[in-house]
Amino acid sequence: MIPRGRQIHKTFNNIKITILCGFVTILVLRGTIGIGNLSSSEADAVNQNLIEETNRVLAEIRSDKDPDDPADSTDEPQFLSLNDTYTLGPKIVGWDQQRKVWLSQNPEFPSSVNGKPRILLLTGSPPNPCDNPIGDHYLLKAVKNKIDYCRIHGIEIVYNMAHLDKELAGYWAKLPMIRRLMLSHPEVEWIWWMDSDAMFTDMVFEVPLSKYSNHNLVIHGYPDLLFEQKSWIALNTGSFLFRNCQWSLDLLDTWAPMGPKGPIREEAGKVLTANLKGRPAFEADDQSALIYLLLSQKEKWMDKVYVENQYYLHGYWLGLVERYEEMIEKYHPGLGDERWPFVTHFVGCKPCGSYGDYPVEQCLKSMERAFNFADNQVLKFYGFGHRGLLSPKIKRIANETATPLEYMDQVDIRRPVHGDESSGSSETKS
Amino acid sequence: MLEKCIGQQRVRRIQRAARQAKITFLCLFMTVVVMRGMLGAGKFGTPAQDLDDLTTHFYAARKHGEPHRVLVEAQPENENGSENDPKNYATFDFNKILKDEGGEEEKPDPNKPYTLGPKISDWDEQRGEWLKRNPNFPNFIRENKPRVLLVTGSSPKPCENPVGDHYLLKSIKNKIDYCRLHGIEIFYNMALLDAEMAGFWAKLPLIRKLLLSHPEVEFLWWMDSDAMFTDMAFELPWERYKDVNLVMHGWNEMVYDQKNWIGLNTGSFLLRNNQWALDLLDAWAPMGPKGKIRDEAGKILTRELKGRPVFEADDQSAMVYLLATQRDTWGNKVYLESGYYLHGYWGILVDKYEEMIENYHPGFGDHRWPLVTHFVGCKPCGKFGDYPVEKCLKQMDRAFNFGDNQVLQIYGFTHKSLASRRVKRVRNETGNPLEAKDDLGLMHPAFKAVKVSTSS
Repeated sequence: MIPRGRQIHKTFNNIKITILCGFVTILVLRGTIGIGNLSSSEADAVNQNLIEETNRVLAEIRSDKDPDDPADSTDEPQFLSLNDTYTLGPKIVGWDQQRKVWLSQNPEFPSSVNGKPRILLLTGSPPNPCDNPIGDHYLLKAVKNKIDYCRIHGIEIVYNMAHLDKELAGYWAKLPMIRRLMLSHPEVEWIWWMDSDAMFTDMVFEVPLSKYSNHNLVIHGYPDLLFEQKSWIALNTGSFLFRNCQWSLDLLDTWAPMGPKGPIREEAGKVLTANLKGRPAFEADDQSALIYLLLSQKEKWMDKVYVENQYYLHGYWLGLVERYEEMIEKYHPGLGDERWPFVTHFVGCKPCGSYGDYPVEQCLKSMERAFNFADNQVLKFYGFGHRGLLSPKIKRIANETATPLEYMDQVDIRRPVHGDESSGSSETKS
Repeated sequence: MLEKCIGQQRVRRIQRAARQAKITFLCLFMTVVVMRGMLGAGKFGTPAQDLDDLTTHFYAARKHGEPHRVLVEAQPENENGSENDPKNYATFDFNKILKDEGGEEEKPDPNKPYTLGPKISDWDEQRGEWLKRNPNFPNFIRENKPRVLLVTGSSPKPCENPVGDHYLLKSIKNKIDYCRLHGIEIFYNMALLDAEMAGFWAKLPLIRKLLLSHPEVEFLWWMDSDAMFTDMAFELPWERYKDVNLVMHGWNEMVYDQKNWIGLNTGSFLLRNNQWALDLLDAWAPMGPKGKIRDEAGKILTRELKGRPVFEADDQSAMVYLLATQRDTWGNKVYLESGYYLHGYWGILVDKYEEMIENYHPGFGDHRWPLVTHFVGCKPCGKFGDYPVEKCLKQMDRAFNFGDNQVLQIYGFTHKSLASRRVKRVRNETGNPLEAKDDLGLMHPAFKAVKVSTSS
């Protein structure tokens, strides 16, 4: 009934609208997904391959598989049986004498530099990436923190990433390394072990070595917890100093036997749980083993062990990190104790693993705060500071001048500690 | 039916109007869509964002929780409903941690030209006086052994690549080892001192600040975070540089004659602490400030330098340009070293490690046993590098182990192979550790010895 012309017109209009709608659809698709199916599928495929390849590589890197593991490795790793005796190495005798002779023959490698005994800080982490990438990031920040403290105080660092002894893996790995370093570096007077989850938070404080002239092991702890309560956390082996001497070698030899993994470590764990207060049931760890050793052989060892709690050679992080702002307001670096902790140690956080003993957010925020709290003390020297304890950005706290050395003299944190005879860093690296 | 109510003509007009309205709306809609696809609609987002949101929404339960990761991780199976477990690191979103607190950015005055800091013209005198007043901080540790500060750094935020931080960690361990053996101090920077000089230019304000704050430092050694020491025994030939102020790896012809943008490398260089260095930094900096200046400068550099691709100005090209155009001012105090690998491009070195182990020994520093292997272009911390990920990371492992072997051999160990993290004993323990053979002489090297007269 409708005239032809109008019909054509109508059809034409419909076609126009159809085309428009089609065009709109294509545009929307293009905007979201990409140009049709001409070139993108190829690019997509390549991209997809790239992503898969990358993921495969990353998975390989992060696994514990090693290209040098024998292809037919048995599932049962070889463990020492309960009857085997384990030793760290051939028995050394007369080390004190050997060391003395060596030092006199090598005057260009003295054990003291500018009046300060030579210290070597030993720390480390496993050779493979952490289970979680955040773990590696905090290992990096922690090592930067240690580099800063050691640069300021003339201490050398050894960062260990090798398992020297497959029996003593995990927290026991420090024992063979400490022994190895003592024997290779007779010029080092003190070896300072520090966990990778411990950070320096007082950049000015120095360990008062003169207090320990009659001792060979300096460790943070509480004598009453140790002797009266026999608590498994009476001492902390996350930060301690060993003098390089025969006594230390003997102690290491006596300490090591609970360590070899497998049935020995399991059985030892049971003994420790039975004898130490509050210890949960798990395999033997170095801290419990040391406590047990010092308790059961008190007369042999304790006179040379200094249980230090006047300052935080190890500072348990809970209870410290919340108070940083208060400390900044009331106190100043150099105190090393509860007013301005020397070391903040993130026991139980385990950022390198998959699970910690505390909520992740709390741990990471606290670690970031501790890092920035310490970093502020370093940056202050350069006229900067973090914008907040959780902020990665910094702000200027002192204007640039044309006479920078005047400002520096006021804030140089090496000077007041070292006084006139200072070590600065003149020959301490040598 | 409607016709009966209103009348046929009316209806037709309404129909026509409706048709036109339809077309109008369609066109309007199309315009909006096109605009949105091109420009985005502010907080309403772009279509690409829409897709991201949709994906996130649908995959939220399985998503790793780190929206900036392009590299999707192989998720380990978590049986315990771990999305809600506050103690599980795998499901945690790190972006909750860092807080960009207070303070506005210092807005640079657009009218003032950029400067690194107030002009200092008498630094040599200031420094000289300070050194005289502080004899316990000498700038030379021994004769011919200047005090050196190695400077390197990385971002304070986690790497976008999940294994990037691990490689940064290995890289710094490698530097710690070399510097401990050679009596060099390290400064690891994680702070951006000047927001305008971000990226590769960030080293300039940092270097200036360190030179001025450490007058006792004679040489500042900048080293990129993707460069590793592969010759632990090589000591820099300090006497060769006693009359120069800047040492970089490069070739004179390539810089001065060809103006080649890779004629030198600013990934590893030495800068003496004096007035000349401050002046050089001031002359080097102007191409750096980000934004228009850096972009425009980039165009100039691409035009003037041979082989340079088009991108914003970088510090290396700017240095080539500076030296090539102002040779008279700076040239006589610049040493372009090609006798050893102060910087060694990894591409030509990493495959030869086994050959080197067989034929040579540490201490050469050159093509026989490179001092530094520099992983230019690998960018392990970022999402995308210029080379395939597998090649880069595997080679970085090899280079690390190659260097680490030289340190481990001091203690009687070595890696089982260049690809392996595991170590094996190569020297048995004895009851006389002090008689152990020290093949490379690294246990108590001469370059670490103290001046005998001052030992206490």
